[in-house]
Amino acid sequence: MYTQNVRGKLVEGDKTFGQISQDVMRPLYAKTPIWWYVAATIAFAAMLFGGWAIYTTVTYGIGTWGVNNNVAWGWGIINFVWWIGIGHAGTAFSIFLLLMRQKWRTSINRAAEAMTVVAVLCAGMFPMLHMGRIWNAFFILPYWNTRGPIWDNFNSPLFWDVVAISTYLMASAVFWYIGMIPDFATIRDATTSKIKKKVYGFFSFGWVGNAKGWFRFETASLLLGGLAAPLVVAVHSIVSMDFATSVMPGWHTTIFPPYFVTGAIFSGFGMVLTLMIIVRKIYKFQDYVTQGHLDAITRILTFISLIMATAYSTELFIAWYGGQEYEMFTFMKNRVTGEYTFAFWTMVTCNAFIPQLFWFKKIRKNVTFVFIASIFINIGMWFERYVIVVTSLSKDFLPSSWATYSPTIVEMGIFIGTLGLFLLGILYFFRYIPMIAMSEVKGILKQTSK
Amino acid sequence: MTRTNIIGVYEDEDILVEAIHHVQSKNIEIKDVYTPIPLHGVFEALKLKTRLPFATFIYGAFGAAVVFAFLYWTSVISYPLKFGGKPLNSLSFIIILFVGTIFIATLLTFLTFFIRQNLYPGKEVTILDPRTTDDKLIIVVDKDDDLSASEIARIKSALVESGASEVNEVVEEVEISKE
Repeated sequence: MYTQNVRGKLVEGDKTFGQISQDVMRPLYAKTPIWWYVAATIAFAAMLFGGWAIYTTVTYGIGTWGVNNNVAWGWGIINFVWWIGIGHAGTAFSIFLLLMRQKWRTSINRAAEAMTVVAVLCAGMFPMLHMGRIWNAFFILPYWNTRGPIWDNFNSPLFWDVVAISTYLMASAVFWYIGMIPDFATIRDATTSKIKKKVYGFFSFGWVGNAKGWFRFETASLLLGGLAAPLVVAVHSIVSMDFATSVMPGWHTTIFPPYFVTGAIFSGFGMVLTLMIIVRKIYKFQDYVTQGHLDAITRILTFISLIMATAYSTELFIAWYGGQEYEMFTFMKNRVTGEYTFAFWTMVTCNAFIPQLFWFKKIRKNVTFVFIASIFINIGMWFERYVIVVTSLSKDFLPSSWATYSPTIVEMGIFIGTLGLFLLGILYFFRYIPMIAMSEVKGILKQTSK
Repeated sequence: MTRTNIIGVYEDEDILVEAIHHVQSKNIEIKDVYTPIPLHGVFEALKLKTRLPFATFIYGAFGAAVVFAFLYWTSVISYPLKFGGKPLNSLSFIIILFVGTIFIATLLTFLTFFIRQNLYPGKEVTILDPRTTDDKLIIVVDKDDDLSASEIARIKSALVESGASEVNEVVEEVEISKE
């Protein structure tokens, strides 16, 4: 079906089907390595800290955070948007590349989707905690109640968030799971361990790989891809409308939805790169996640980085061209210069400049540099959200309502806790789930297979 | 009750697709084909059809209708609350309508896939050849009790001619494999 061969070999080392299964299943059979326990301990420690922070938030209230009447949104929202952004790449990878028939996605999509699911779980915690009275969180659901019944405000972006994120979590989790079913069946049939056979057999849902089954599987994947692709765009557009539908200077702009969606995919691809470099190094998957794969991702990042740079300059240009003094103040006096200069220029450097180095082939081929750059991208994207949330809120229309914001240890604790949760989720993924989609990689061995 | 199948085991996906055509040209009915990967050539050769896309469309239309009905009922009929001077039946419903449609269509498509394919957690299967989920591809032909020895030999030789690396007879429990 596909005869073009621009990307060269997608799987190196002339693998056979059997070798692919063995290579991918090797980590599942191996003894749990020491570093895994070390990393899991760190993750647990981070989660304990996060647990304490959550306990404090719930028992004492939002007063333990650094937010105040003017800067009412702080790290809670920044981290929420940051995690959702990271959660975008999994689905972007699998779905956009699936619909565009990019075969190189096959070695990476499983890990990217795992990352999505864990990141969205982390993200979901922040709005819940930010409500303050978390025990009333179910009020956000439109259920038949005794208060009228008064319903949610269906015109509120915050409610759209609830709908969009729960849909996104459901769709990505199920999409991820459906892709794993054939691989679980492979483990079930190949393993000699009785426990593994039982457990993976349970989760393989009785998959046998008959022609009709594969046909429906392929059709279902394409349909779900088609459904989830607009969802990816919708989710982060909706997140951006939390900001854009308000009248705060710096937020009230029409560029926000595309700007947020691009940023989300950017940070997600950055995180995929970080993760895949670790995976291929630790588990020796260099034959599957080849230099060519990293090259393809860095090229995408370079392009998205250009879009980000365009968005930043457009914002500045419109602030000046629109002639609105508050916009002008926010962008020129409170971002480019002023108190938050550091955050603004970190954002610009990490997101607009560093990825431009990928124009050079030498740099794209240097895995260490690519790894460091991918981390910088995520730092840059965190600062982008910081700039958006804090600068606009801290100095709005009236100088009398200006306030400064700095996070407390409790807010930081929750963030560290989610980092721990993410790490732990990824570690469990490394340990118990085939990290590379075996059945999909087998399908791309022959470039010309029908 | 048990049933015996004749299976031809293949090593390569291109050979398998050719083999299906070859076996079909000998007027041998192929019961099923098991592969470790999805193969479009196999789908075409077996002339498989699915109504899943149509079902998804129906689910989407149904989802949109249900979500709109809910929004309209809550905001216009059950508790008409004016705010911001906006009409009760507001244009911004479109966002929940959009996402809600995707939610319902996705969920029902998944469920349909699982139900039609009869997949559920913990389902026990007797697999004809455990290597088919790893690296082998097989063609399964039903070995009816009334088949004569010469016909069985014809089926087997057709499988070998078409490139099968081995031809086996496998007995299976019949209740489980019936679809």
